[in-house]
Amino acid sequence: MILPIGPIHPALKEPLRLKLKTQGERVISAEIDYGYVHRGIERIMVGKTWQKSIYLAERVCGICSYIHTQTFAETFEKISDERAPLRAQYLRVLTNELDRIQSHLLANSTFFKAVEHETLFMYMLHLREPVMDAIELLTGNRVNMGWNVVGGVRMDVKDVHLQQIMTIMNKLEVEYQKYVEMYEQGPLMGLRSKKVGRMTKEEAIKARAVGPIGRASGLKHDLREDHHTYRDNLDFKVIWRKEGDTFARNMNRFDEIPQSISLIKQVIENLPEGDIRKKVEIGAGFGEWRNEAPRGEVTYMIETNGNLINNASIRTPSIMNIDACAKYMLKDVATVSDAIAAYASVDPCIACVERVVIVDEKGGEKQFQGIFDIK
Amino acid sequence: MLDALKDIIRKSSIHVCLVNSGGCNGCDIEVVALLSPRYDLEQYGIYVHNNPREADVILVTGAVTEQWKENLRRIYTKAPEPKIVVALGNCPISGDVFNQEGGCVNAPVSDFIPVDAEVSGCPPRPSEILEAILAVAPGAIAAKGRQKE
Ligand code: SF4
Repeated sequence: MILPIGPIHPALKEPLRLKLKTQGERVISAEIDYGYVHRGIERIMVGKTWQKSIYLAERVCGICSYIHTQTFAETFEKISDERAPLRAQYLRVLTNELDRIQSHLLANSTFFKAVEHETLFMYMLHLREPVMDAIELLTGNRVNMGWNVVGGVRMDVKDVHLQQIMTIMNKLEVEYQKYVEMYEQGPLMGLRSKKVGRMTKEEAIKARAVGPIGRASGLKHDLREDHHTYRDNLDFKVIWRKEGDTFARNMNRFDEIPQSISLIKQVIENLPEGDIRKKVEIGAGFGEWRNEAPRGEVTYMIETNGNLINNASIRTPSIMNIDACAKYMLKDVATVSDAIAAYASVDPCIACVERVVIVDEKGGEKQFQGIFDIK
Repeated sequence: MLDALKDIIRKSSIHVCLVNSGGCNGCDIEVVALLSPRYDLEQYGIYVHNNPREADVILVTGAVTEQWKENLRRIYTKAPEPKIVVALGNCPISGDVFNQEGGCVNAPVSDFIPVDAEVSGCPPRPSEILEAILAVAPGAIAAKGRQKE
C-alpha cells in the first residue's frame, strides 16, 4: 500500500509529500516529492547588484538565514581577492555559532514533537528563546538579521551586549546538560531512536550526506575545519559518531552545542580591536565558496561582471540529506511512526531544497544542476 | 441559549492550521516559537496543528508558488465553517523580495482565498502574531458562526 503524507499534515512543518510504501505497519521504501515552495531565487539574482541580492540570499531559508549571507559575502570577497577585517571575521563566527545553536535546538525539538515527547519539546524551545535574545541583542533582529555585507559586517558590538551574551551562554551551558541526559538515558527515547533509520558510512558517502547527518554516520567532515577564521584563530574539533541511527543524529546535534558555546566564549574573550568593514572593489569573474551551515555544507557559485551578477547557483545541504533519508533510512522501518521520527531526525528544511526539474520530452526527467544548465 | 453556548466555546478553543505556501520559513519558525513556554500559545486556548479539516484559523505564510495556486483553494474549502484566514508576513501580502522579475510567485494570497487579517513584517515578531490572532479570531469566528446559522 502507498501511504501519502502531506503536503499539509500534522507531522510535517513544511509542505512536502512523503509517499511511504507499506506492508501492514512496516515501511518498505519511501519516495519524496518536493517543489511546493520553489520561488526562483537564483533567477531573480541575475542582473542585480550584490546589495540587492544579499537580501534574497538571506531568504533562501529562514532557519539558517545567517550562513547564506555570510557565504554570499565571502564569495564576493573571494572574487575580489579580499578578506574582511579580523574583527568582522570574529563577529561572523559569533553570529554563526549563535545561529547554529538555535537551529540545532529547533531541529531536536521537532524530533521530540514527532515522537510525541511534549516535555522535551517544550524544554528545547525554552532553551532556544534566550539564544534568540542573544541574536537580537547582537544584530537587532530575530530571524532575518541582515548582518553581513561584502567586506565585513554592518554594525559594531558594544561591550555590554557581549557581556550579556556571555551571561546567556554561561546559563545555557549549565541548564542544557540536564536535558541531554534526559534524552541520552531515557529508556523510552532509546526505544524510539536507537537502531531506527540506520545509514552506514558507505551509504552516507553514496548519498553525499553532509552535516550532522553525515557526521552521525561516521563521515568526519566539517567545513569549519578549513575555514580560515576557525583554522587560524580558534580551537575547534570535529564532532562525529559511528552509529548512524536516529539517536546518533540527535546526539550529534546535541554534542555540537557545547562546542558552539565554547567557540562563542573564545570569540568574546579574544575579540580583536579594529575596523568592522572595509571597502571592497568588486572584481569580475567567477567564484565559489563553501561554508558549514547548521545542516551541512552550503555552496555559492557566482559569476559577476564587477557590478551585476551574471549567474548564481546555490547548493544547500538539505537536498542531499533528504534524498539520503528517502533512499537509505526509510527502507524496512518497523512502523510508520518510526519512519516519521527518522525523517524528523534528518532536520529537513524544505524552503532551501527547491530545484527546477527539467523534463526532457524523450528521455524523461533530468536532474537540474544549477542555473548554468540553461542555455 | 444554544447560540450563547456556542459563542463561548468558539471563543475559547481556536484550532490553527499553518500553511506555508512558499516562503523562506522564517515566519513558520516564529509560529513554532510561539509554542514555547515563554509565549505559551495554549494558555489562550489556541492550539496549533497542521490539519486543515479541524481548523478554525488558517495561517497562511509564503508567497503562493505555482504548485499552491490550486491547492490553496482546496485547503481552504476543506476547513469547516466558520473559518478565518490570517496572512502572516510580507510574503502573502505583497510577495516580499520574491515578487520581482524572474520570481515564480503569485502573491498576494487574497487573489486566491478571502483574507480576514494581515500581519506585516519579515518575519513579524511572535508577540505580534499572537496579538493579531487574538484580536481577530475569537470575535470573528463567533460572528461568522452566527451568520451561517
Ligand atoms: S515574510 Fe519574510 S520571513 Fe516570512 S516567509 Fe516571507 S520572506 Fe520569510
